[in-house]
Formats: sequence, structure tokens, C-alpha cells
Amino acid sequence: MNHLKFGCIVLLAIFLSGCAAQRMYNWGDYSNTLYQSKKHPSDKSDLSHLQELEKIIEESMKDNLRIPPGVYAELGYIYFRQNKRDLAINNFKMEKELYPESTLLMDRLEKAAKLDDKPKPSEGNAQDASPDKPDKQEK
Amino acid sequence: MNKTSIVKMKACLLLVILTFIGFSLSACATMVTKGDKFPLLYEEMPVSILILPPMNESTAAEAKDYYATTIQEPLSFSGYYVFPYEITTDILKMEGIYDAELIKDLPLQKFREYFGADAVLFTTIKKWDLVYMVIAANLTVSIDCELKSTKSNATLWQYNGTVVVDLSGGNTGGGIAGLIVKAVVTAINSAMADYVPHARTANYMALSTLPYGKYHPLYGKDREQQFVEQTRLKQ
Repeated sequence: MNHLKFGCIVLLAIFLSGCAAQRMYNWGDYSNTLYQSKKHPSDKSDLSHLQELEKIIEESMKDNLRIPPGVYAELGYIYFRQNKRDLAINNFKMEKELYPESTLLMDRLEKAAKLDDKPKPSEGNAQDASPDKPDKQEK
Repeated sequence: MNKTSIVKMKACLLLVILTFIGFSLSACATMVTKGDKFPLLYEEMPVSILILPPMNESTAAEAKDYYATTIQEPLSFSGYYVFPYEITTDILKMEGIYDAELIKDLPLQKFREYFGADAVLFTTIKKWDLVYMVIAANLTVSIDCELKSTKSNATLWQYNGTVVVDLSGGNTGGGIAGLIVKAVVTAINSAMADYVPHARTANYMALSTLPYGKYHPLYGKDREQQFVEQTRLKQ
């Protein structure tokens, strides 16, 4: 019985150290604050997710880690929905700079943020890019 | 108060033990290398992945939204550029695509043209349930993952992650009294059961077999890495 327990602890230690060694990004509490904002949608849970994104950027910079993919973009998108255009565009640009793979999408979002005067991004996006979107009606 | 935390701890320990029993059992199964199993992925070397809204085959309606919050983070650790799910799903919703089911038969080329994605990840929630049997309860989360190329529509990688957690009270001594204690503990555990942490574990299980992407230090060097081959029971 005791042997089994000891074995488990040793295995757990190996397992955990494996995780620690390959730390590429600091995602903070991202998955959890996002989950909370889905499970209990409120201004409060949205705000804590926004703050978590800001914290991830801040701490990653401090620790000299690459900001995880999508974090700048998601933050920019939240600002966009809050109609904070300049902040939104700034973050889209940061994402693009860090991850050139995101260029196409970030350019679209940036364009939408510049064009659309309405507070909701949805209209801007839809007008801006409907012809070449993946469209279920097309096929 | 204190009792609940002890119960929680017990549940955690059980999960750990179960996981390792799972690992040791799986050691007996056939091992394959990443390079042998997923040659198309090494051929195409996708860099960016777009996560599609999960398909939900479980009986839990909420599973889809909750599960979706768990996948972006682990996928990024495999070294890929992962498109921000919160944005891409909103865009897909505007196009009336709430479910990857609708996209299954679409040419995936569209995702390359619109988003710049090299590959898309289909996920299917096979199980998200609790089987409750008074003195015992099992929580199961099972996720099928499939990565498809937006260039060739070919499947580049697929694997399943399943986590089964025993929520029963464990050994509480003999007799009727022991059984009652066990039933109570099981009931408490089941009421507190949260699927999402287990979904995260299932993701890491599945993604451990995914060849590394550009941002991982072992990018292109993991062809010889071995993992357990799964016999797929596809319906």
C-alpha cells in the first residue's frame, strides 16, 4: 500500500517537472477566467478576463517570454467592442508583429476598426469582408 | 467545511492514481512514432491552426461552450500559431456557422483565404457525463481531435483524449455505516464535479501526440517520438 503511494508521488513529480521544463508561455489564469465568463456571464467576469489578458502581457514581458498567440488580438477585440478604436488597432498591430501568421486576419480587423463608426464590430466586419468569407451557402 | 476539502483532496489523489493506472496500462499497447503515424503533417508542416467550434455528441448542451475555453492554450504549447478563438468563432457566427458540423463538407481552402490558416482543428465531444450509481460515480470526458489541412483537405493528425474520474468515497470501512458514508461522500463529490479541469487533462493527453510546430524548441525534431497507438472505434 505504502509502496503504491510512494510510486504515485514519484510519478507525479516526474510528470510535473516535465510540465515545468517546457514552459514557453505564461497563460496565467486565462483558461479559467474565460471559462468563468462563459459560465457566469457578467460585466464582472468579463472585466476579470480582460484584466487577465493585460496581466499575461505584463508578466510575460517582465519574464522575457513571448506573449502567447492570440492574446494581443483578443485584447484588441475586447477594446474594439468597447469602441476603444486606437487601443484595439494598437493591439492588432502588436499581434501581427509578433506573429506574422496572423497578418491576414489582423489586417481585416484593423480595417474594420478604422472604417466602422458603430460601436459593434459585427456590422463593420460583415460589410467589409463578406464576399470572401467562408460561407456555408456557397457550396 | 474541513470535510469537504478532505473529500476534494481525496478526489484529486484518485484522479492522479487513475491517470497513472491509465498510463501504465497503455504502456502495454502498441507504440508508434509521430513520423510514421502522421507523415502528411511532416510533409505540409502547418504553422497556423484555426480551432473550429466543437461538435457535441454528448448529452450535455453546455459542454460545447465550456470545452471551447480549454483548447487554445494547450494547442499553443505544441508550438503552433493558434488563431484567437474568441474572434474567429464570432466571425464564423456572423456567417451562420455555429457548429463545425456545417463546415465538414466545405472545401477548407476558404479558411486559408480568409484567415490565413494552414490547418483547422475539428474537435468532437464524445462524452461529457456522470454515471451515478449511489455509492459510486464516474465522470467521463472524452474528446476526439482531428487536424485537417486547408491546402489538401487531408487529415494531418488525429487522436482521442479520455479522462475517467472515480468520484466515489473510496474505502470508508466496512458495514452499513461505511456504505452510508461512502454514498454521502459520492453524492458530495458528484454535486461538486466540474468537468472543465478534466477536459483540460483530456486535451493534454490528446495533444501530447501532435508533432510540434514552429514555435516549439523541438520543431521538426520529434519524428522519432513514440506514443500509444489508438484503435479507433469510429461510427
